[in-house]
Amino acid sequence: MRRYIIKRLLYTLLIAWGVLTITFVLLRLSPSSPADKYLLNLTARGQDISQVIASIEARYGLNRPIHEQYFQYVGSLVRGDWGWSLSTSMPVLELLGRHWVYSFQLILLATIVAVFLGILIGVYSAVRQYSRADYIATFFSFVGIALPNFWLGIMLILIFSVKLGWFKTYYDTALPILSLDNLKALVLPVLTLSTGMMAGYTRYTRSATLDNLRKDFVLFARSKGVPERTVILRHVLRNAMLPIVTIIMFDLGSIVFGGAYLTEIIFGIPGLGRISFNAVFAQDYPVVVAVTLIGALVVLLVNLITDVLYTYLDPRIRYD
Amino acid sequence: MKSLVSRLGGRRHATALGLLLLLGAVGLAQGWLGLTLLPPLAFFYAFLGVLMLLYGAMPLYTNRRLTAHYWRRTRRNRLAVAGLWFIVFLVLLAVIGPFFTQSPTRVNFPEKNLPPLGFTISQSTFDLSAGQFIAKETPGVWEHPLGTDDKGRDMLAMLVSGAGVSLQVGLLATGLAVFLGAVLGVTSAYAGGWVDNALMRFTDIMMTFPFFLLLIFIVFLYGASLTLIIVVIGLTGWTGTARLVRSEALSLRTREFVLAARALGASPARVIFRHLIPNVMSPIIVIATLSIPGIILAESALSFVGLGDPSVASWGRVLNAGQQTLDTAWWVAVEPGVLLFFTVLAFNFLGDGLRDAFDPRTEV
Amino acid sequence: MKKQLTALGLALALGFILFGAACAPQRQARDQYISGTSAGDAETLNWILAADSASLSYAGQTLDSLATYNNKFEVQLRHLAKPVEVSPDGLVYTITIRDDLHWSDGVRVTAEDYVYTLKSLMFSDWLNFPYKGDWQEQVGGQPVFVKPEVVNATTFRIVRQTVDPEFFDNALIGLTPYPKHIAQKYEGNVKAFTEAEEFNKLTYTGNLGPYKFKDWVRNDKYVVARNPEFFLGKEDGAPFFTERIIKIFGTPAATMAALEAGDITAAGIDPAQVAKFKSKANLEVYTTPDTGYLLLAYNMRDNGWEGFRDPRVRQAFSVTVSKKQVVEQILLGFGEPAFSFLPKPSPWYTEEGVDKYGVEPLYSKDKARETLIAAGYGARGADGSFRLSDKGGKPLKLVLATNVGNKTREDTAALIQQELSDLGVEVELKLVPWPTLLNNYLKNKVPSAAGEAQFNSGPRAVSQERWDMIIIGFSSNPIAPSGQEVFLTSSGGLNFWGYNSAAVDALFKRVKSAEAVSPENRKKLYAELSRVIAQDQPVNFLAFQYGNTGIQKRVKGIEPGINMGYNFHRWFYE
Repeated sequence: MRRYIIKRLLYTLLIAWGVLTITFVLLRLSPSSPADKYLLNLTARGQDISQVIASIEARYGLNRPIHEQYFQYVGSLVRGDWGWSLSTSMPVLELLGRHWVYSFQLILLATIVAVFLGILIGVYSAVRQYSRADYIATFFSFVGIALPNFWLGIMLILIFSVKLGWFKTYYDTALPILSLDNLKALVLPVLTLSTGMMAGYTRYTRSATLDNLRKDFVLFARSKGVPERTVILRHVLRNAMLPIVTIIMFDLGSIVFGGAYLTEIIFGIPGLGRISFNAVFAQDYPVVVAVTLIGALVVLLVNLITDVLYTYLDPRIRYD
Repeated sequence: MKSLVSRLGGRRHATALGLLLLLGAVGLAQGWLGLTLLPPLAFFYAFLGVLMLLYGAMPLYTNRRLTAHYWRRTRRNRLAVAGLWFIVFLVLLAVIGPFFTQSPTRVNFPEKNLPPLGFTISQSTFDLSAGQFIAKETPGVWEHPLGTDDKGRDMLAMLVSGAGVSLQVGLLATGLAVFLGAVLGVTSAYAGGWVDNALMRFTDIMMTFPFFLLLIFIVFLYGASLTLIIVVIGLTGWTGTARLVRSEALSLRTREFVLAARALGASPARVIFRHLIPNVMSPIIVIATLSIPGIILAESALSFVGLGDPSVASWGRVLNAGQQTLDTAWWVAVEPGVLLFFTVLAFNFLGDGLRDAFDPRTEV
Repeated sequence: MKKQLTALGLALALGFILFGAACAPQRQARDQYISGTSAGDAETLNWILAADSASLSYAGQTLDSLATYNNKFEVQLRHLAKPVEVSPDGLVYTITIRDDLHWSDGVRVTAEDYVYTLKSLMFSDWLNFPYKGDWQEQVGGQPVFVKPEVVNATTFRIVRQTVDPEFFDNALIGLTPYPKHIAQKYEGNVKAFTEAEEFNKLTYTGNLGPYKFKDWVRNDKYVVARNPEFFLGKEDGAPFFTERIIKIFGTPAATMAALEAGDITAAGIDPAQVAKFKSKANLEVYTTPDTGYLLLAYNMRDNGWEGFRDPRVRQAFSVTVSKKQVVEQILLGFGEPAFSFLPKPSPWYTEEGVDKYGVEPLYSKDKARETLIAAGYGARGADGSFRLSDKGGKPLKLVLATNVGNKTREDTAALIQQELSDLGVEVELKLVPWPTLLNNYLKNKVPSAAGEAQFNSGPRAVSQERWDMIIIGFSSNPIAPSGQEVFLTSSGGLNFWGYNSAAVDALFKRVKSAEAVSPENRKKLYAELSRVIAQDQPVNFLAFQYGNTGIQKRVKGIEPGINMGYNFHRWFYE
């Protein structure tokens, strides 16, 4: 097992390096320069733009050949220097260090809510297949999947913040992270983000549970007189978890730059999603490369954890 | 000639390959000569059309018994049938609708913010000389049954043209992604060894790439055009299909009928097209149907962050414009939202129904 | 008994004092003032490196400049102890700063700091201050920096070689110093200067501004706290908010929701939303003139339609587009038709003799048709119907471009497309992202020439993409509009449409000369410029926009006007 993990970690580094290189090349081959956004301002005030652009590019070392920039970037990355963010004027590492927590708490809470409720409803509606509860759960899970989450977020703000005044219209970063107020401030964002996920998990859990309910070992356990509760929890759910865990882990990897980003935009949360997309619009190279790299590493580590989890969920799976 | 055709795995595959090559050649020639005989999207349509005709409609027609069997199984799922009908309705709307509606781009400011038929709202306009607002009761009119937006464009016309856009994005991008995924997956599984290794490592890299970030980055830099959005989604969205197809094909590779075909001296192309691809078709169809709604939603999310193609009235763009005026003109956001919602729902229902129908394990 | 009476008396007295205190206008500092925006965050607080306006406004809250204007464009002294003295020949500016300014470490701010900032930072080669050009003058065809020199601790001089009547308004008024004793540590090392802690966290600002830097969460909020030492707050304890916060939102809808719910104190309001917010009991909506204007540029370069090189054709097109419609339908009444680059609040504004294209009687499609026939583009058929065509007799198809994401411009483009279709012009709309508009449409170069494309690379230069009309917005400094020469003179750096008029070139030259020092002369010259440009129609000035700001009613001390924020440190909560 340990050898397997070490091998996978090395492999992770290799893939991360590939992602880093592709991003770097993509960025540097782009047709416009980060100095472009100043052009109109500068020219309007009678400045010599080619000179100013040259000096801005020189300030950030963008005027050297691409391979030189690449080796220099990778070199300083290895030494732990992630560079200086051009669009926010602070070290990239400090920027990410300050903002990761806003994404993390949102994603963590949304995932917990979605996983817990999704599995609960999914199992219940599978066990009570074709009951009214099952139909209602199925209906709402389809609705949840089809509802664009940016749309849901705007509606929630209009109803609960503007009309009813129960919540603040935006997320306030002044609140201490570990406080009840902070938890309250996260209610709407978490609801927005988790609805789609929860709907998906409900569907997957339901079908995975149904698959397993018909398996021989379930019939066997039942015929042995094992209580139904134990049958569901021990035998059915445990076996159904494998595909569900795969889906959850896949979501976790892709959520930072997808659903979480849109949620962050709507609720004014300065998480990694907003930081990275603003960096894209400002063509802030060091930040874009850094977040892509971190995003890739998160996905890879999550994959690794998933594979290790498999061995616990299904003892038949071994990696040797 | 005949041996070439049979090496390629039969007449159907030779035809497909020939047509695709022809399309490619025309496209290249057009690009080279700087002509635009056909818009770029037309090539996608032709491409998708060839594939669907030869690998979708033809097998369905030749295997009428199997088709009837699947249809019976699908039909038993009422939601799937409803989804199918809704999609058929949408396609008809998108294809025929534009002939009956007004121009979706025709601006008419005096008729702005008209509510749908049967509603009356109070519009206030600012009178600069008087320095105050003047309220006016505005009822919906027959000429604009679904109302107009803040530029006086007909909502019905925009929704009809938006249906075309959403379907285009959903179908074409999915077609491209699934085609790439299927080809790469089967190749990887059939070839094995270092080819398999290299392709799967590449798939891993693509899978770890933050897809939405990449999409936004490219669209931001190169300008939002529908073609670009479709191509980028297609070129990045194949990884899931590739993995699925590979694992299905791997299990088929050691099955008796494949081994027998190879022992009888069938060419690799023949084995791939004749034996592997037809047998992985059903998971491919299911995954394609189920990934269409995600792609339609991705396009509308792109519009939401202001990066939709500005020259077309996609539902996402109309919805995004409407959310700014939600309290003065709710219908602008609600109408495309409802359509988007039902479209995504319909594809999900159909996909689920197809999965159940194709999966012999489930008892419908 | 006596004791009780004394106690009662004391209690009454105390009560009166408390009551009196409660009745007097509450001008004690309290509460946060939160303004919301969805326009995006600043890039740096190290303002000398900044090229975006948000950065300059962030830093400006902790650092005043030499002076500012009130709503009537009267100069309000800030760091200046008295108005700047200009020598009779208009070449020597003597600046006297207050003697009570100090940096955070207690070191006094002296003339030395100003001269150092100018000479060693702004004018230096290593730092590349983006707005150097403001401090340069043309001597013998070469740009030369003005010469600053220290006179004594509170006085310095700036010596010019040429007269520029608007030098104070364009450059000097906004001058802010860097602390010499800190900046010297980083001199010559641009990386160290860029990353310097003192400058990026504004730890040096002393008593130079009403607020002190507190926190900046990127893409979320910028927080400054009341500066008790503020040099203008000695008498009355200004400023009166304990904190001022700029909150960044992801979408305009989110900003509006926060304003409506009362979670923020102030925000700019979209014209379409004004009616709704005017009806809110807790909000006041201030409508103020703005310096921004919307214009339709005609491409007179070689890759545009050749018709636009004929002033009659430009007039015919301008006569076709109703400015009343632009103001009423697109700006929803919050704006006014523009006829030149001078906004109405400008002291130089005049309507005398200025052709009012786009407003009746100069809004007439018949007139446009007649003019086009006279210019040789189109003819009347036997039935009297008008048919527009180019010189070759083919129907006219023109490209109208603007940047995507700006609703006003997109709407205006649609309106103009509609108006021109009445003339028989088929207009193809191109909505492109801002960087694409800049690089492929606005920048131009001579096709065979080497080097980078610029916004005006001479009369023969063309842009990469073909275009005929572009909708864009500029802003004009009402008090010193001579900066508009970059758009309108033949060698102007932003003359991307290729306009070339000897008369306009000469007038702008005269506005920037000794002749224009007297306000009467300057007014005459600007009036002449307005007339010439309005007649020549190099661009169609469409409208000046008004700004709408919603502010909670409990905020007092506001003077509505074009520079509404000039006395922000005296605003207070009721």
